[in-house]
Amino acid sequence: MTPFRTVAEVLTAIQTVKAGAADFCTNFFPDGQKLQDWVGRNELLGESRAGALFLFRRDRDFSRMFFCAASPAALREGLAALPNLRAERVVAEVVGAESALTGMLAGLEAAGFHRYRKLQRMARLGQSTLPPAAGAEMPVTLAEGADAPMILNSLKGAFDRYAEQLPTASEIESAVAAGQIFVVKLDGKLAGLLFFETQGMTSTLRYWLVAEGFRDRHVGAALMRRYLATQSAVRRFLLWVIASNDNAVQKYLRFGFAPDGLVDHVLASAPIHHENHR
Amino acid sequence: MKTIADILKEIRPEFDFTTSTDFKADGMLDSFDMITLVAALDKNYGISISGVDIIPENFQNLETIAALLRKNGVQP
Repeated sequence: MTPFRTVAEVLTAIQTVKAGAADFCTNFFPDGQKLQDWVGRNELLGESRAGALFLFRRDRDFSRMFFCAASPAALREGLAALPNLRAERVVAEVVGAESALTGMLAGLEAAGFHRYRKLQRMARLGQSTLPPAAGAEMPVTLAEGADAPMILNSLKGAFDRYAEQLPTASEIESAVAAGQIFVVKLDGKLAGLLFFETQGMTSTLRYWLVAEGFRDRHVGAALMRRYLATQSAVRRFLLWVIASNDNAVQKYLRFGFAPDGLVDHVLASAPIHHENHR
Repeated sequence: MKTIADILKEIRPEFDFTTSTDFKADGMLDSFDMITLVAALDKNYGISISGVDIIPENFQNLETIAALLRKNGVQP
């Protein structure tokens, strides 16, 4: 595998696969700035096989794999020729409408990937109504710089690093500086947080959690209300949630979110034993 | 044949794309939508948009998408 030195190199490699592709398929949807950052930090490695391009990026103790392939069959053939899938844990995601993912999932599974989690996207229109407020008023504030380590630890403890793409410390610091994390602090502890990203008329809720010991006190509802109330220009709210997490899904439904038909299958090249997440 | 606006409306029905000059800045198209749009344009117009052209600047608004289609021999 070789590191990409420029974004143009990445795009050219994609074009090599896409040109004349019968049934182009990919799980690589990089935001322009993010791609620039990855390449600038030499984090993105590439490997080409006939009809398929594979890109790898290290994430803590495993690698995330992205691909562009001329067809699901080319993906399958390319995967079979990759040497490093057995040597380390590799995680790949496949995103889209469920019916469009069959070929890509089959290709990954034929190469030894196991289905680990399925996430579903939920969306909410900006003007949706809220459920009635309940409980005592909570002190919801924007997070401050000093909160960043505590936020990172809370996220690490509550979310699944394989399936939910945890932010780095620097991403949290940037989000705090941009006013994208609300917190509730009670008894000197972080009782809950809500981390979001807003771009124009779309806002994505990335993480929403209430710490153990502070549940059933309406901390989460207070965070969600503050978040929604401050995003008056937003027309569309989005989030991804583990589809089998009924407790979370029910909470999102109460706040007006509904599945919008997109799913995200997370697969791993080596079995991941269940960790105690939410 | 569908227009560019028709295709965009199918991908993100909640937005009016005729009112924006910068779809990304206005939060109307994300990177996943962009790849979905490329596939839809390829299929609708019988073309293959080059990988090197799949950059935000080419999907900024209706005009830039039309220019991209013209580059691919299509008169939208």
